[in-house]
Amino acid sequence: MTIRKIAFNLFAWTIVLMVAFPLFWMLVTSVKPQSELFRRPPTIMPESWTFEHYWRLLSDTGFLRYFTNSVILSSATTLIVVAIATLGAYSLVRYRYRGRETLAFLVLFTYLLPSVVLILPLYLLLVGLGLSNTILSLVIAYTTFALPYALWLLRSFMAGIPEDLESAALVDGASRLGAFWDIILPQLLPGIISTALFTFILSWNEYLYALVLVNSDSARPLTTGVMNMLITSFNIEWSLLMAASVMMSVPLIIAFAFLQSYLTSGFGAGGVKG
Amino acid sequence: MAHTKQTLLERRYSLLGLLLIAPTVLVFCAVIVYPLISAIYLSLFSIYTPTLDGEWVGLQNYATLLAKGEFWYSLRTNLIWTVGTLSLQIVFGIGMALVLHQNIWFRSLARSLILFPYFISTVVAVLVWKWLFNDLYGILNHLMMGAGLIEFPIDYLGSMPNAMVSVILVGAWKYFPFVVIAVLARLQTIPGQLYEAARIDGAGPIARFFDVTLPQLREVLVVIVMLRAIWDFKEFDLIFLLTGGGPVTSTQTLPLLVYKEAFSLNQMGMATAYAVIMMLIMLVFMVLYIRRTRTEDGL
Amino acid sequence: MTYSAKLRTGLTRRGALGALAATSALAAVPFRASAQETTLRWWSPQAAPQQVEAYEFQIAAFEAANPGVRVVFETTSDEGYAPQLAAAFSSGEVPDIVTHLPSFAIQSYYANGLVEPFNDVIEAIGADDFYPGANDVFKAADGNYVGTGIGNSAANMMWLRTDLMAEAGVDKAPETWDELRAACQAMQKNGIYGAPLPYGRNSMTSLIFIGVIHQAGGQVFDTDLNVALDTQATRDALEFYTSMRELCPPGATNYSWGEAITAFVSGATATGIYTGRVLGNVAAQNPGIADSITCATYPRLSTDIAPWTFNDFPSVFIPAQSQNKDAAKAFAAHLFQPEGYIKQLHAAPGHVLPVLQSINNNPQYQENEIIQKYPDEVELMAASAAGGFNLGYESTAHPSNEKAGEVVGSGAIADMVQRVVLNGENADTVIGETSAAIEAIMKG
Repeated sequence: MTIRKIAFNLFAWTIVLMVAFPLFWMLVTSVKPQSELFRRPPTIMPESWTFEHYWRLLSDTGFLRYFTNSVILSSATTLIVVAIATLGAYSLVRYRYRGRETLAFLVLFTYLLPSVVLILPLYLLLVGLGLSNTILSLVIAYTTFALPYALWLLRSFMAGIPEDLESAALVDGASRLGAFWDIILPQLLPGIISTALFTFILSWNEYLYALVLVNSDSARPLTTGVMNMLITSFNIEWSLLMAASVMMSVPLIIAFAFLQSYLTSGFGAGGVKG
Repeated sequence: MAHTKQTLLERRYSLLGLLLIAPTVLVFCAVIVYPLISAIYLSLFSIYTPTLDGEWVGLQNYATLLAKGEFWYSLRTNLIWTVGTLSLQIVFGIGMALVLHQNIWFRSLARSLILFPYFISTVVAVLVWKWLFNDLYGILNHLMMGAGLIEFPIDYLGSMPNAMVSVILVGAWKYFPFVVIAVLARLQTIPGQLYEAARIDGAGPIARFFDVTLPQLREVLVVIVMLRAIWDFKEFDLIFLLTGGGPVTSTQTLPLLVYKEAFSLNQMGMATAYAVIMMLIMLVFMVLYIRRTRTEDGL
Repeated sequence: MTYSAKLRTGLTRRGALGALAATSALAAVPFRASAQETTLRWWSPQAAPQQVEAYEFQIAAFEAANPGVRVVFETTSDEGYAPQLAAAFSSGEVPDIVTHLPSFAIQSYYANGLVEPFNDVIEAIGADDFYPGANDVFKAADGNYVGTGIGNSAANMMWLRTDLMAEAGVDKAPETWDELRAACQAMQKNGIYGAPLPYGRNSMTSLIFIGVIHQAGGQVFDTDLNVALDTQATRDALEFYTSMRELCPPGATNYSWGEAITAFVSGATATGIYTGRVLGNVAAQNPGIADSITCATYPRLSTDIAPWTFNDFPSVFIPAQSQNKDAAKAFAAHLFQPEGYIKQLHAAPGHVLPVLQSINNNPQYQENEIIQKYPDEVELMAASAAGGFNLGYESTAHPSNEKAGEVVGSGAIADMVQRVVLNGENADTVIGETSAAIEAIMKG
């Protein structure tokens, strides 16, 4: 039995390491000096370690500004989207009114829109509002894909919360909103956290809207910032790119490490229901 | 909660319900419905993108595109990509979830490592894979040549069918963790007694998977398949950044075609027409899919 | 419902053009901006750190001379400028000045009324100071200039490693395709490939291959702008390009500018195809080969055919919707002020070559390590670029082609290369279909 267990563990870890290999290679490349990159065959472990790429990113480029922009952008999007979606999901699950089912279906329908088409009309709208080239304009744009998703997720979480709890509070004389605040929200917290995390990831990683809607360094997020800065027609510096990739991924990995348990348990609580 | 006649309280509640959904509806109208209607409207014009000026052409854009080989070819490419990457994501995702559900060494580290591809941005994923795929300095070619699998470096992204296979694999790598997350969560809620009962009935591990696990996962899989199918069908960043649609048009899916019409050829009317058709295709698939799964569930 | 953006007017314009007339002392003549602060947005896809540094210097000098005007530099990219400008034009929120876009892109915008005529700025810079004919490529059908060159670039220079040539017994720079093939074959060994020609589905492949067609004596359009691809020259070009495939790295099927230059600079290929930026990159990244590189014009079918240099004519233009056109014009002219302009050119020595004769002869310009280390190469590139062409302007006999940007953007020519070279499709069929595709774009 133990041999079987060891074999299973080895098998499992082999797969895990294969999946994670690109992560490893990204790290290794980011600490190799540029000259070592062009060695053939490539060296597996760096012969000499250097952190100059990280240093160059932080001191010579706009990386930190893009980073700040991305943090502000993703946090704001997450906050707004989750707030709206929580109320919306609560309403969709716990209230009865005409068109409720249709509305839920429409939410799904908006999923189908390819972002490429929404870009120009959306851009005109944002310019009309006087918001072009601002972080806020991206927040609004990201709502287009983040809100349906968040609403859909939260709706299924909400459906998983037993109705009895709320009824009990109502019988005890709580107001409907009071019950929402005191009973539903705490129950929903894991769901909210995992929705927030997903929304954050979506906004942190978005590329196309950022490419078209924003063209000022003061509002540019990391994805387009890094591509613009480092993938140029006159040079490709792989180690710099990999260093940037590492630094772009770190915040998400850290956030994830803390919230991992919420992510999976939240999903389980309601089951994802259609 | 059966009810015959709406009480005053209930009517007040439904008002409150409408109030709570109002922000959602408002935002939807502003940022989704309005652009959507504009898009449909634009698709009836022949429009030069930078000015958005153009003349009314009615349904001519649609007639042109349906008659064009490029549309059908891209649709085919799009379906190959979607089906290919989606099935890999599902199969590999379920398999990995089952493994991670077991008590393996350093389980939470393993989970984090598995989920990581989903968390990194597409830009990063593409950069890393391009570097792995690099013809001269790429580690992948080097390792495979070292292992004697290949004699010469492989051209992963520039020839067919390699390019399609590479794109599908990178897509699967990037998105299978989503399946893992959802399945893993569901696995944790399957009551242990079910397995006990199956074991008592003499079911082996494989029979247990098919008799207990899979039926329990059905509900969550129905949703995952639909969500991922939609996302994969309209995936743009990954393919655009990885191959740009090449070689020739071998990996040019519909979203890339829309982008090309809109911004390289400056034909916004045509581009929106493509997009509207794309939406209709997805809509048809979705309705069929929901019908099917609903009736099977007896709903 | 019309989507055309309305031009916002109403900003006061005061004697800026008067100031423009005072050519050389331009920086000294303050441009009188309206009372409120004016902000100029400047876009360029050329933004290597050293270049941005030079731009900042030019901006600072301009701002110092023109209180109340602020200039903000914003980066765009070769792949991203089309959608970004589309969004900008359609909304009216345009940059006030755009530099380093290829000339054919502006022609298309100008034809749709999106670009301000540039005649007065050229006058302000000094029309006589430009190399003869340098502004022809910017002439629109109506006789106006749509912009001007901020530099020249010789984008398809053939770069050579003299050490590898000596080793392989290649005694002179190849001038014909046969010689090039022979040289590449001789040098392709020890993991080094012959050449990094682009076979990717991107604009570089289109642009380089247009050059190859010309190097076979052909052309894409005739002088009436009818598609003229269906010729023996195109077939020869495709045949040559196919024969070079085995002399290029396997990944060349995805190569664009960045990969092409990196391949040569890192020493992976024995020859290269790129602008003079190679010089700076070698110095920075692979100094070991710095003493054994040189360049020549790209070989052609036979020596009877004149070399054809691809010059994308990096440009300056001012969008018509700009609300600060006068300030933008003053700034555009300011970009050519010797001190700042030379700094800008030195940021990428040999890559962006001066368009003004006075600058080329300026000792300050010549005073640069790289320009001094490779005087012959820089001279050759300057001469080739000055006599260079692109798809918007295939020869001096061709009128400017407003649709060239769309033809390149459509990828029709890169598709043609890929279908014939990679898929092995019949050249005649492919040429026919490509011609039809390009004709459709010309009509569209």
